[in-house]
Amino acid sequence: MNFRRKLLTVFAFTVVLSVASVAFLVSTLTRRAFARNEDEQSASLMAQFQREFDAQGKEIARRIDAIAASDAVAHMAATIDQGSTGSAGFFDLAKSLAENYQLDFLEFVDGNGTIVSSAQWAAKFGYPETAFAELARLAGQPAFLKHEDLQDSSALGMFAVSTAQVADHPLYAIGGRRLDKDFLAVLELPADTRILLYQNPASTTTDGSLIDSSSRDASKPSNADKLAPLINATRGTGRGVTEIVHWSPDAADDEMFHAIPLQGKVNAQPLLGILLIGNSRRSYVELERRIRASALLVGGGGILLVILVSSWAAARVTRPVERLAHAAHEVAMGNWNTRVEVEGTDELSQLADAFNRMTTELLTQKERLVQTERVAAWRELARRLAHELKNPLFPLQLTVENLLRARQNSPDQFDEVFRESSTTLLAEISNLKAIIGRFSEFSKMPQPQWQSTDMNEVLRGIAQLFRAQLQARAAKPIECVLDLDAGLTTISADPELLHRALSNLVLNAMDAMPDGGTLTLRSHHSDNGARVEIADTGSGLTPEECERIFTPYYTSKQHGTGLGLAIVQSVVSDHRGTINVHSEPRRGTTFVIELPRNPELTQAVSA
Amino acid sequence: MLAASSLLLLTMGAHAETRPQYGGTLQISVREAPTTLDPADTAQQDTLASRNITKLIFETLVTTDDNDRISYGLATWWMFEAGGRSQSFQFRLRKNVIFHDGTTLSPAIAAASLRAANPSWKITSNTDSVIVECDPPCPYLPEELALPRNAIVKKSSDGKLSGTGPFHINEWHPGKKLLLGAEENYWGGSPFLHEIDIEFGKTFREQLVSLELGKSDLIQIPAEQSHRISTANVKLWRSAPLELIALVFGHDAQSAADKSLREALALCVDRASIGSVILQGSAQPDASVLPNWMTGYGFAFSTETDLARARQLRQEVRTAPLWAVSYDSADPIAGLLAERIALNARDAVLQLQPTKTAASDLHVAKIPLPSDPIMALATVATATGLPAPQINSGSAEDLYSAERELLATQKLIPLFHLPVVYATTKAVHGGLTRQDGMWNLADIWLSRQKTGSDRP
Repeated sequence: MNFRRKLLTVFAFTVVLSVASVAFLVSTLTRRAFARNEDEQSASLMAQFQREFDAQGKEIARRIDAIAASDAVAHMAATIDQGSTGSAGFFDLAKSLAENYQLDFLEFVDGNGTIVSSAQWAAKFGYPETAFAELARLAGQPAFLKHEDLQDSSALGMFAVSTAQVADHPLYAIGGRRLDKDFLAVLELPADTRILLYQNPASTTTDGSLIDSSSRDASKPSNADKLAPLINATRGTGRGVTEIVHWSPDAADDEMFHAIPLQGKVNAQPLLGILLIGNSRRSYVELERRIRASALLVGGGGILLVILVSSWAAARVTRPVERLAHAAHEVAMGNWNTRVEVEGTDELSQLADAFNRMTTELLTQKERLVQTERVAAWRELARRLAHELKNPLFPLQLTVENLLRARQNSPDQFDEVFRESSTTLLAEISNLKAIIGRFSEFSKMPQPQWQSTDMNEVLRGIAQLFRAQLQARAAKPIECVLDLDAGLTTISADPELLHRALSNLVLNAMDAMPDGGTLTLRSHHSDNGARVEIADTGSGLTPEECERIFTPYYTSKQHGTGLGLAIVQSVVSDHRGTINVHSEPRRGTTFVIELPRNPELTQAVSA
Repeated sequence: MLAASSLLLLTMGAHAETRPQYGGTLQISVREAPTTLDPADTAQQDTLASRNITKLIFETLVTTDDNDRISYGLATWWMFEAGGRSQSFQFRLRKNVIFHDGTTLSPAIAAASLRAANPSWKITSNTDSVIVECDPPCPYLPEELALPRNAIVKKSSDGKLSGTGPFHINEWHPGKKLLLGAEENYWGGSPFLHEIDIEFGKTFREQLVSLELGKSDLIQIPAEQSHRISTANVKLWRSAPLELIALVFGHDAQSAADKSLREALALCVDRASIGSVILQGSAQPDASVLPNWMTGYGFAFSTETDLARARQLRQEVRTAPLWAVSYDSADPIAGLLAERIALNARDAVLQLQPTKTAASDLHVAKIPLPSDPIMALATVATATGLPAPQINSGSAEDLYSAERELLATQKLIPLFHLPVVYATTKAVHGGLTRQDGMWNLADIWLSRQKTGSDRP
């Protein structure tokens, strides 16, 4: 990833992180605000419920007192006081009085706890009131919650107790109203809020035990099973519980329910009902969705904007760096004349200026080095020429002086001396010509003539050429091993030049193995072309020799010109290949040549 | 002189109030809402009101008198013949009896009417008689023919019904209203009333309000409510206790366990408190099918609650099913009875669920009984889906045995016998009802204030 992309990524990530953080913060604050609002609404509703309960409780107590003080009840109490069984004349009195006083429940119970008349269960006369002892204690007290058993069900209601006393025989009037939908309907509910009353703390929750103030609203679900965990939790703890109820896969249908236990005073029933205040989460969910959508929109737009802005900014920042990088690459490729445009005076401009000065200095240094090397090369050439030419000249001088001395001192032997000296002179002159010829040959290396070349064939030809010389060294033979890759494909090369270069390497190898050994000619297929190895098991080279071995006129041999490996390197270089040497003293040397498959194309591209 | 004349007129006027007068329309309100007047229509519920209405329009060959003895109706003579396994009754018809449509009563018409009501009977006719052959023997055929459902009806081709009774049909709106007119040519003599206007489907409260406002002259009130009626402006007429209230099971006892549970239920019902409180002492608690006044042996069937025995029987059965007990939703007392019996059953660890729906295991039945004990047993057997008991001589022993046999099926649990109570305004005079609860409207009259100038 380049610098510009990294910069873009950092900018984009920063924007996304910022938008996400803001969205998260807004969501969190919104959620808390909604939760606080729901809590306040629930508390307000509960307070309203309590106020309504108290108000209706007082009204119920007032009516029960009025019933207990009525003539009809006084007559009934008097009749019972006189020893009558009671119910015979009054069993339906409770019902008529309950209707008159608009009560849902009304029972008259005598001092023994026997029901004299019951409005809610008329047939129950003569049976004992199971909670009589506690109910009698609650006479005159404020209204209280109580479960009332009915013929085939039970109901939760607000009850009050009053007493009609005749002589020593009290008659209790126990009555009240249902805590039902009508009661809940009186409560003023905020929007998106509903109130439910779970009446019967039985083992299972059913629709019948739930009263929903908004059950007429078909859009509001009332599946009691969904509320069962909340109800069970409230029943289990006896404390208020708050839970979110999921009515459907759509989170907008969720409701936050506050379950508030309703305590009773009769029959040791601490939990008679549970008030369920449900707040729709639709507003919150929709707001949260809008926030999320806005965040996504802002984030997406921000990313696009960031890409545009940061592209422009990154371009401004990275363009000088890229120019520097490009210039450095050019320098690395050998183009030492590369210059970087300097704009402004900032750090990058200073860097560019420093780069320019560096390349200038490098170019100067290079020219100086080339000059030095050229001088050194000329010196070396002069030394070699002097050395090479000096060797034949000395015999020539001795031979001419010997001829002169023979002419003066031994004319009779002059002819013989002359013949011998002529032979020597010719030999040395020939030697001089050979030396001059090699130098001439090095200076006249031809350009490769490209053709499809099978390197295995080249190596076989070399092996065939040197087989006689290798076998001629019967005392200390050199074994020639051909290790050729059958899968090697042809490459574009000049087989004649390669033959000459590889022959030089074979000759060097033979020289390196005066005591015999193994010469290995190896070929390999490489990704880019072919690899050729010429390995011997000779005396090997020192690391210093390895470094200088391709320098022209350098030789480690007593009579070498130092041009052989220079010619090899020149040929390999003309083929756009590389040559390396791996050697260890007394273990042998291996020359590795890498040749490209299409050097002429490489050459054209390079050109 | 003037004062003497005034006193004479006042005395004559007072005397006229106690003397039968012709004219006037008797307004009647009833709870029932019959949709047909055909007495042979068995789909119609057999109620006292329907019997009473039938007897106003139609007549039977024989009838029962005030002492519940068989007497002549449209027949003036009958003869019984026994031959082998069969029996035959010949009823000679009263002469010069005219149907309301003007047709003269003939043996053929009477035989056709009886065949329609009793398809299984072999009925023939001759010039002046109707002959009914019974195989197997039916010694109580006259009692059966006295039942209203065997009244002689003439059906015209357009389906109109015509009878020979003291009143003919002027208007008929099924289930709503029936207007009857006095039949001037009635063979028994023209009734005092000019018209009878009957409104159907009225609740007790509506009937009572109508009576108090003077819009109705005659209503039937629940016996348990009779003590609430002020008698200052109302006359009450009470029959003998002849309406059986019973728990009737929908199916026969299936197993020994089922029988034990039914017996337990019969033992746990507290008839005394139900009778005194719900029925306000107006009913006779009975464990017998027939009321004691009818047979004299009713006391032999104990009505005492035996909770201990009931619980013991219940414990002998591993599980007791939940029995649904239905009742007539239009009858508030029936609902209360069902609820109370359910409470009583709970004391014996039995489960009864009162319900208004027809599909139930048992129901609270009100069965109006004919005054004849044999017919009463047959009526109960029919109402409970049991075969009619075979009674040979009609003696108390035979009746007792037949009743025991009926109760042994455990298809029903008798609870009470209720009287039928009617309330009329003070304007209604004469004997309204008999011991069997049947109206005697042909012999009652309305006072002058009521009759107005309807009739001279």
